[in-house]
Amino acid sequence: MRPELARLQRIEQHLLGPVPAAEAPAWQLAQLLDPELAADAQAQQQLYRGLQLAGRQQLRRELQAIHHQLYGPASAGWLRGAVGGLRALLRRGLRR
Amino acid sequence: MTTDLPLPTDRAAQLRAELLADRPGTLTRLYRRTFPMVERHVRRQGGSAQDAQDVFQDALLVLYEKAVAGTLTLTAAPSTLLVAISRNLWRREWQRRQQHPHAELSPAQADALPDPDAPEPEAASVLEQLARLGERCQNILLSFYYHRQPLEQIAAAHRYGSVRSATVQKFKCLERLRAAVRTAWADTADLLTR
Repeated sequence: MRPELARLQRIEQHLLGPVPAAEAPAWQLAQLLDPELAADAQAQQQLYRGLQLAGRQQLRRELQAIHHQLYGPASAGWLRGAVGGLRALLRRGLRR
Repeated sequence: MTTDLPLPTDRAAQLRAELLADRPGTLTRLYRRTFPMVERHVRRQGGSAQDAQDVFQDALLVLYEKAVAGTLTLTAAPSTLLVAISRNLWRREWQRRQQHPHAELSPAQADALPDPDAPEPEAASVLEQLARLGERCQNILLSFYYHRQPLEQIAAAHRYGSVRSATVQKFKCLERLRAAVRTAWADTADLLTR
């Protein structure tokens, strides 16, 4: 892996991975040796927040599509209600 | 006597496996089984069909994120938990509406209000630049970081010969995204200082 990619991986492990307590001094030392590390880690954290948001938007679109597929467009809710009401009336009428 | 009921951890692990293997199918099954119950409850409790849909989709999103992250504990069927989360969300929303009933706003006034769901500028910039990356990079990044798919699955889906190749590709995509976001921010800063 290129050194730039390995650096991204190192930051990712620090931000997302289970960081053992023993790792903390190593990260502090790395920050001393690499003054841009903290700022780059912060920027990478922003990427992860954005990806989380993008994923949620994607999932919401998928759920909307599922709703549409199962129940039709939003107006179908009214239609289903009306059909249900008519059915209930018919059932009552038939019982009489 | 032994019981064949799966343990809570097994149930959550099973749901996670199903979501990873077939997200659309699993979500559709959960939706079909559970939404009618939530809709009935919300409508009985004074909500609209749209309220029921909003509340249910929020609940499903919560359940999904916990399930794929492996932080979910299921002591009952997923649909039971979904109904419970939905009821809770609707109760909170109902109480919020009682405390802060909507004032009637004109469309112009409503447009002038800040959108509470709008992402912060940094996240919005990531969203914008992600949309400009190629479909493959978008897919790899969202599959790994949001949908928590294992790299083995990503490697197979994109026909990489090994997990290592998929890992390298994932970091290349992340690098491209970071570079695009940086350039966009530098351009914005440049415009502001002119």
